[in-house]
Amino acid sequence: MSEHSPALREPWPDLARQREGVAFGVWAFLATEVLFFGGLFLGYAIYRNTFPEAFHIAAKETDVFYGTLNTAILLTSSLTMAVAAEAAEAGFRRMTLWCLSATAVFGIAFLVTKGFEYHDDLSKGLFPGPGFSLHPPATQLFWAFYWVATGVHAIHLTIGVSVVGTVATALYRRRLPLEASTFEGVALYWHFVDIVWIILLPLLYLVGRAS
Amino acid sequence: MNTRQASALHIWIVPGAVWLALLLLLALTVGSAYVPLGIFNSILNLTIAAIKVLLVLLFFMKLRSSSPLLRLAAMAGLFWLAFMFVLTAGDYLTRQ
Repeated sequence: MSEHSPALREPWPDLARQREGVAFGVWAFLATEVLFFGGLFLGYAIYRNTFPEAFHIAAKETDVFYGTLNTAILLTSSLTMAVAAEAAEAGFRRMTLWCLSATAVFGIAFLVTKGFEYHDDLSKGLFPGPGFSLHPPATQLFWAFYWVATGVHAIHLTIGVSVVGTVATALYRRRLPLEASTFEGVALYWHFVDIVWIILLPLLYLVGRAS
Repeated sequence: MNTRQASALHIWIVPGAVWLALLLLLALTVGSAYVPLGIFNSILNLTIAAIKVLLVLLFFMKLRSSSPLLRLAAMAGLFWLAFMFVLTAGDYLTRQ
């Protein structure tokens, strides 16, 4: 029955194989992403091990409220993304559209919150370089990691929002069939970006709070 | 409620439960960060992060029901990352 589906592309003999191929391709791409972010996390681990006191002093200056709120927003966006992919596979068109839109909106909400947080960070002099407000000097290493890691994550999320928006628009205009294997691939990427943030939360926001 | 509506609602059950668990773990990790536990603060926070990542991998990214091919592909990045961490730590943590 899937032989004549409009969602079926060359060279796949059927949709099930095509879905597997899409997921395999995205996972292979995500492996390169794991190593990319992994390099950052490794640098963080080595520097934190070398300058533990400076990292505790520096990490206390991050804003737990924004960090926690953004984690909750991103976890919720993953819920709507997961449901969107399931709904597409089950053939619920309207539910897929609504859930994809909600996912993009949550992604934008995260970026807006992050913008407010960046504004606060900058006004507190927490950008490494001249005018940096903390001591000892190694606190700049933590904040360099903060800006690079959250910046790269925000770029990933921006790409995610545009991809989800594009796919939702294509589905709405019926240029993309509901049974397309696209949704599953988009969902895998979105959840990966969520995972990166789940790991960043304890590294950036929860260090040295109790002392 | 017809069966179509019922199965549309049914889709929310498992992802919804996972989402609730993730939010509870978030509350637990943020709350525990303010309790003085010494070194165990970091251990607890990283363990909770690992559980959250595992929940996302298994349920949202569907590794629970994926083929062995996809599970292997998903673990490939972590496999090479483990080499990078172990070899780098083998250098830095043994310097005099």
